[in-house]
Amino acid sequence: MRTILRKLHLPIISLLLFQTITSKAQQVVVDSSLLDRINALEKQTNYIKPGDDHFMMVGLTTFGFVSNKTTMTLGDSSSIIKTHSLGDASHYEFSPMFLWRHGKKLLLEFEPSFSNGGLGVNWAAISYFATPGLIIRGGYLVLPFGTYNKRLAAGWINKFASDPEGIASATDYGIEAEGGFQAGTMKWNYDLALSNGIQLQHDGTLQNVGITDNNKNRTFTGRIGWLPLANSSLELGASLMTGKVGDAGSQNENIKATLYALDLNYVENIKPFQLNIKGQYGITDVDNTSYMNPVDSSQYTFNNHTTTGYIMASIRPAFVDNGIKNFELAARFGNYTSPAKSLWGTKDNSLAFALDYWLNWRTVLKFTYEAIKGTNTTDVKLGGTPGLVTQSNSFYLQFSVQL
Amino acid sequence: MKFLSNKQSNVLMLILAFIGLNAILLNSCTASEKITSKSGAQLWGENCQRCHNTPSPATFSPEKWETVGMHMQSRALLTETEKEKIVEFLKQ
Ligand code: HEC
Repeated sequence: MRTILRKLHLPIISLLLFQTITSKAQQVVVDSSLLDRINALEKQTNYIKPGDDHFMMVGLTTFGFVSNKTTMTLGDSSSIIKTHSLGDASHYEFSPMFLWRHGKKLLLEFEPSFSNGGLGVNWAAISYFATPGLIIRGGYLVLPFGTYNKRLAAGWINKFASDPEGIASATDYGIEAEGGFQAGTMKWNYDLALSNGIQLQHDGTLQNVGITDNNKNRTFTGRIGWLPLANSSLELGASLMTGKVGDAGSQNENIKATLYALDLNYVENIKPFQLNIKGQYGITDVDNTSYMNPVDSSQYTFNNHTTTGYIMASIRPAFVDNGIKNFELAARFGNYTSPAKSLWGTKDNSLAFALDYWLNWRTVLKFTYEAIKGTNTTDVKLGGTPGLVTQSNSFYLQFSVQL
Repeated sequence: MKFLSNKQSNVLMLILAFIGLNAILLNSCTASEKITSKSGAQLWGENCQRCHNTPSPATFSPEKWETVGMHMQSRALLTETEKEKIVEFLKQ
C-alpha cells in the first residue's frame, strides 16, 4: 500500500501544481472582466442614484353615471323630475397631485383639480417635519375639522358614490402644526391650524372655500385624536373651529362662528371579514344677527344653528381565498338639519347602500343607491315654501382610481 | 352634610382622574414593550387599513415609499417610530 502511494506521489504533486497554475491564470481573466463590469455598473448607478430630493406625481380620477328621480310634494300636489347624467355631474373629478420631497424634512403637496365646477386647487402646502411628533405646514390648507374631508372624501377611499350631506369643512390660507405620539398602549394626535377665516355670507351661510379675508380676526381650527386600543383599530376625535366671520366695519363685525365635531373610525379584521364603522357629527353655531330679506329688503333674523352627521358601516370578506374578497357592502345613514326660518332651512335624512367591487387596493367600481328625504323649513316671508317635501332617489355607477 | 364645596370636589375629581390616568399609563409599561417590539409589517397591517385598503410593498420603489411615507405620516398622524418602521418594511 505504502509503495503504491509513494509511486503516485510525483504525479499527484505535478497535477496539483498544474491545477493551481491554470486556475490562477483563469482568475486573472475573470478579474479583469469583472472589473470592467463593475466600472460599467458604477457609471450606470451614478445616473440613477437617488438624490436628496424626489418628485413624484400621483392623483385620482372619479367618474360615472347617475340616474335621479326627485319628487316634490306640497300638500296634495306633487311634481316629478327625472335626470340622467353621464360623467356623474356632481362627482366627476380629475386631480393630479404633485409630491415634492426635499431630503427627509420638507414635503410639498399640490393638488389641482378639474371637476364639475371647473379648474380649481384642492390644496397647496409645504410641510416641515421639524421633530418627531411635530409637522409644521403653511399654505393653502384643508383645515383639520372632523375627518371626512381631509381623510375620507377621495373617490377611491369613500365607499359610496356620493358624499354625506352638509359636512362642514374649509380650505383656507394658514399655518398648521400636527403630530402623533405614543402614550403607553394608546396613541394621541393633534392637528391645529390658524387661518384667514371663514366668511359670513348675506344669507347666514359660511363661505368655506375661495374665502376672502374679510377681517383682521383669524380662525382657529383644531382636532385631537385618540386611539385607545393597542392595535390602532379605533380612533375617536373631537374638533373645534372658531373665529369672527363678519366683514370688518359692517354691523356683523363681531359675529362669531363656532363649529364642533366628533368623529369615529373603527376598522377591525374579524377573519375572514374586515369590518369598518365610520361616523362624524357636527354642529355649526353662528351668533345671532339680522340679515336682509331678498323679497322686500326688510331685516329678519333666525337661530343660526346647523347640525349634520353621518354613520356608515361596511363589511368585506377580505380574507377569503376567492374572488368574493373583492366585494364590499356598505350602508350609510345621514342627517342634515339647517336653520329653520332661514333661506336654506331644511331637515334632511338620507340612507345609502353600496356594493363595491375592488379591482385592486386603489381602484373601485361602486354601485350606490341613495334616498334623501328633505322637509323644507324656510319661511314664506322669505319667498320659501315651508313644508315642501323633497324625495330624491339616486342610482350611481361610479369608477374611481388613485394613480 | 357637605364635606366639600362644588369647586373643591371638582378639583378632587380632576386629581383622581389624573392619578387614574397615570396609573393606567404606568401599568401599561409592560404592554408598551409589546408596542415597541412591533415589526414594520405589523404596523403596516394595523395602520394603513384605517382609511383605505392596504397597499402592497410592491406598489412603489424605495425612493417613492420614502415620499409617500412622509405624506401618510402627516395624513394618519403616525408616530415617528411607526413611520420609520413601516417605510423600512415597504422599501424591502
Ligand atoms: C388617516 C387616513 C389614512 C391612513 C391611516 C393612511 N392613509 Fe394613505 N391616504 C390617505 C388619503 C386621504 C390619501 C389621498 C391623498 C391625499 O388626500 O392627500 C392617501 C393616499 C395614499 C397613497 C397614494 C399616494 C399618496 O401619497 O397620495 C398611498 C400609496 C398611501 N396612501 C399609502 C398609505 C400607507 C402605506 C399607509 C399606512 C402607513 C396609509 N396610506 C395610511 C389617508 C390615509
